[in-house]
Amino acid sequence: MHRLLEFIKRIYVVLLFLLLEGMAIWQYATSTPYTEAKILSRTTAVGGYFSKKITNINHFFSLSDENEMLTHRVSELEQTLERERELLADYAEESWQRKMQDGEDSEELHYLYYPARVASMTISHMRNYIVLDKGERDGIKKNMGVITPDKYLVGYIIHCSERYSVAMPVLNTEFTMGGCLSMTNYTCSLRWSGDSPYHVDIIDVSTYAQPEVGMAVEVWSERLPKGVIVGHIESFEHNAAKTAYSARLKLAVEMSALDNVLIVENTHYGEIEKLMDNIENQTSQTTKN
Amino acid sequence: MYKYIPYILLSMALMLVQIFIIDNIDLGTSISIWIRPMIFPLIVLLLPTQWSSIWVVLVSYCVALLMDLLLGGAGLYVITLLPIALFRSTLIYFTTRRSAESSEQSQLLSRMPLPQLMIYIAVSLLLYHALFFIMETLSTANIMRLIATILLSTICSLLISWPVVRIFTTKVGA
Repeated sequence: MHRLLEFIKRIYVVLLFLLLEGMAIWQYATSTPYTEAKILSRTTAVGGYFSKKITNINHFFSLSDENEMLTHRVSELEQTLERERELLADYAEESWQRKMQDGEDSEELHYLYYPARVASMTISHMRNYIVLDKGERDGIKKNMGVITPDKYLVGYIIHCSERYSVAMPVLNTEFTMGGCLSMTNYTCSLRWSGDSPYHVDIIDVSTYAQPEVGMAVEVWSERLPKGVIVGHIESFEHNAAKTAYSARLKLAVEMSALDNVLIVENTHYGEIEKLMDNIENQTSQTTKN
Repeated sequence: MYKYIPYILLSMALMLVQIFIIDNIDLGTSISIWIRPMIFPLIVLLLPTQWSSIWVVLVSYCVALLMDLLLGGAGLYVITLLPIALFRSTLIYFTTRRSAESSEQSQLLSRMPLPQLMIYIAVSLLLYHALFFIMETLSTANIMRLIATILLSTICSLLISWPVVRIFTTKVGA
């Protein structure tokens, strides 16, 4: 308060000048229709300019909320798209008519999407992890995939607590996932050597695949739907034995600027996992016998 | 109080000359649209330099308000004279390189060499006329005519101001 008074004491002449000048301008502006039109149009223009600047600043600060809202919207749309895809697939199998009659619209979807935000993450270690702000109480489970709203691969969930979950991103030397060349559907394996946060490697690409620079590589995994992009080929070469290609990818996702993500649940994943366990058990029993 | 009597008399004389003589001279429409001299800003320009800014602003407001009431300016004289009053000490410094706030120079203006004083008055009057005619027209449609009016009116005002300044330096500042 004392400082405010000191400040006013220092500039009181200017304040008085502004007050008197303002009163005179107002009197002059309202004296004739000509001055009213001229001066008020100028003040409106100046006011509009500042109002626009303030609106822009407010808009900037509300971007975070808008992003969150958009991520929710993307999640809803992905779910709708998935429903449409499945209906289309059913239609192709000539069972669509029957489903409509039976009202099977509420049947479980193949993929479910949950919006989440990055709580914390690292990208400078060999084993990086991402902590997400959604956990078991939000329906998050181990082995769910994590992608960006524009469908770029981030990683998959490895641990969950009640409120949070931890994802292993592609930038982890222990990360394993299948991939495929988008134009050819030849499969490959993804791995990260730990040298650059912007690049990953793919190995075991068939020699018939004919990879090209700029070609997109998609995820080939039971955790995620088709169409999720890992990155684009920057360079490729034959392995030493010339039995396969290996390539270096430029990651599609910008890990250092990660904020809103989608957690993807494959509702059939448990069934697939169980099936694979049975096969492994049978194989081990055969080996023992 | 007595020391301000010459200032008060000079101010009254300037206002009367402005209102009853200069503004009433009929030069014909063709000339009066180009030349409209105004010498009453001298009241503010020649105020004692030791006066604080607040008093200069208040006196200027009173003078301009009176001009508005007598000449029907509707606030135009206040709008144009107050900035000159506020920046008077800055104008003195930039035109004469002398600080108006120095207490040792209580009669700075009257003891200043006449050419230097006239430069200060010329610059101030030019600024006043520019402000006045810009605010009056509120348009840049006839910019060349506006510039010509500002320049011709300033020159004419300076010619009329010359004897006033001489009286000021000989009688008031003595």
